[in-house]
Amino acid sequence: MSQYLLSICHPADAVQPPSDELAAIMQRVGQVDADMRAAGAWMFAGGMHDPSSATVVDTRSGDTVLSDGPFIETKEWVGGIVIVDVDDLDAALGWASRLGDAIGQPIEVRPFQG
Amino acid sequence: MAEYLLSVHNADESPYATEADMERAFAATGALNEEMRQAGVWVFAGGLDWSYKAKVVRVRDGALERTDGPYLESKEHIGGFWVLDVADEAEAIAWAEKATVACEGAVEVRPFQGVAG
Repeated sequence: MSQYLLSICHPADAVQPPSDELAAIMQRVGQVDADMRAAGAWMFAGGMHDPSSATVVDTRSGDTVLSDGPFIETKEWVGGIVIVDVDDLDAALGWASRLGDAIGQPIEVRPFQG
Repeated sequence: MAEYLLSVHNADESPYATEADMERAFAATGALNEEMRQAGVWVFAGGLDWSYKAKVVRVRDGALERTDGPYLESKEHIGGFWVLDVADEAEAIAWAEKATVACEGAVEVRPFQGVAG
């Protein structure tokens, strides 16, 4: 089995959908989540706060430096992650397609090293 | 308890100058993973493969589309991350300080809105 990271990518022009639409999205995502668990593929899933909530910790200079905000300043950001354990890339892409279809956002699929 | 993502960002080449540097960082990171497990805060940790191996799926005009390569064409990508379940942000940052020393890279700490139980 191989582990893959599925990142939910919020495009630069993404806006928060109205609450009824958001509820429908969450219901569809909940179904994909349940199907992943039933298939034995689910390892972890979580939705992120927006990048302004991030703090960077860096000790490379020899001192501990804390800075507010994300490490990379981009208009696009990762809104949530799902980790799956599946046979191969095709299976990971299959789940990513279902997740992307449920949310209406692009999903990036990337393998772990080991 | 609250979940936090601790992500390490790397350029596309290896962040370690020599194999010995890499082995030292991997050993320190392995020891930190064990310490996190002992403390009951460890949820997940993983090192990601090269960003060029990423693929993106999206729905465009009602049809599923797949493209090779990462979503963001940036010089730096997430090289790996931890998910921790801790009391608060101060504890998450305290672990991030240990993490940045262990893996020898900057660590971004970001809270989850919620995780699937």
